[in-house]
Amino acid sequence: MSNQRVSRRQFLNYTLTGVGGFMAAGMLMPMVRFAIDPVLTAEAGGDFISTGTSIDELSDVPTRVDFSYEQVDAWYTSEVTNTAWVYLDESQNVIALNPTCKHLGCTVSWEGRESDPNRFFCPCHNGLYEKSGKNVPGTPPTAPLDMYETRVSDDGILQLGQVVPNTIAK
Amino acid sequence: MIWNTKDILLYFQEKKYIDTAVIPLLPLSFGEDAKQEADQAEFIPLVTALLEKQFKGRMMLLPPYTYFSTESDDQKKNRLNEWTVNLKSQGFTHVFLVTSDSFWRLAEDEMASELIWLPSIPMEHMDGKYKQKMIEDQVSQLLKIVVGKWQKN
Repeated sequence: MSNQRVSRRQFLNYTLTGVGGFMAAGMLMPMVRFAIDPVLTAEAGGDFISTGTSIDELSDVPTRVDFSYEQVDAWYTSEVTNTAWVYLDESQNVIALNPTCKHLGCTVSWEGRESDPNRFFCPCHNGLYEKSGKNVPGTPPTAPLDMYETRVSDDGILQLGQVVPNTIAK
Repeated sequence: MIWNTKDILLYFQEKKYIDTAVIPLLPLSFGEDAKQEADQAEFIPLVTALLEKQFKGRMMLLPPYTYFSTESDDQKKNRLNEWTVNLKSQGFTHVFLVTSDSFWRLAEDEMASELIWLPSIPMEHMDGKYKQKMIEDQVSQLLKIVVGKWQKN
């Protein structure tokens, strides 16, 4: 036991500082948390949507990948399912094409017509696209297929982001 | 395309490419068939919405043709035939009717358009993923019918 005496004044000072410190911390902590919250969430997800498809399942042949997210339209929430055609290019980069035809918005599919192998085919007005998404001249589409931003999560799951203009079609 | 402001403006721009109309046929009553008819009102719009998504650029999905199932047979048929005649005169060479109502199956020969009859599937106990899979399977059949019809002429 220490034989230093603690005066009443000192004792009250210590207790008040201690309790006051906890109260100040209790008020400031949530405020700080709110202030830095946007920074934290941006790291956690952003606008990318997980497809549930592992990157190991992909090959150089375009495969259909469906992914869904919730869309709110006024008070009505619905689950929207979108499709991408995904493949790996020569340098093993993931390419994800948006199958919405650039002509009038039908859905194209890979090798959708037997007479046109290695091409995307639009059944509405016989539009054709190369594997890179480049529109075949002489068919109705006037622009290459759009792409999705892609990202691979740490556990190897493909994530898709915004639709962006095609950058690989030459 | 859907019958909405955005698509109708596009329709007038690109009229020459859009030659197909789809009309869902939905019966309605408060008799003993009410439950089954309500099932159809849930099922058919999902099917036609996905069909439209696939063929957006060549197809106009119209608001459903709705009728009380107690209306007289002639009235139902005549009014629908008027829709079809109107659409054909507007340049829709292909008119598809999508329904689960067995009434139309018997009246098929008298219709001036292509009838696609699907057995209605009650979906009240289905979970989202399974429902989606099932609708996709149904629609993949429809796609073939529609493309087949397009290729014929």
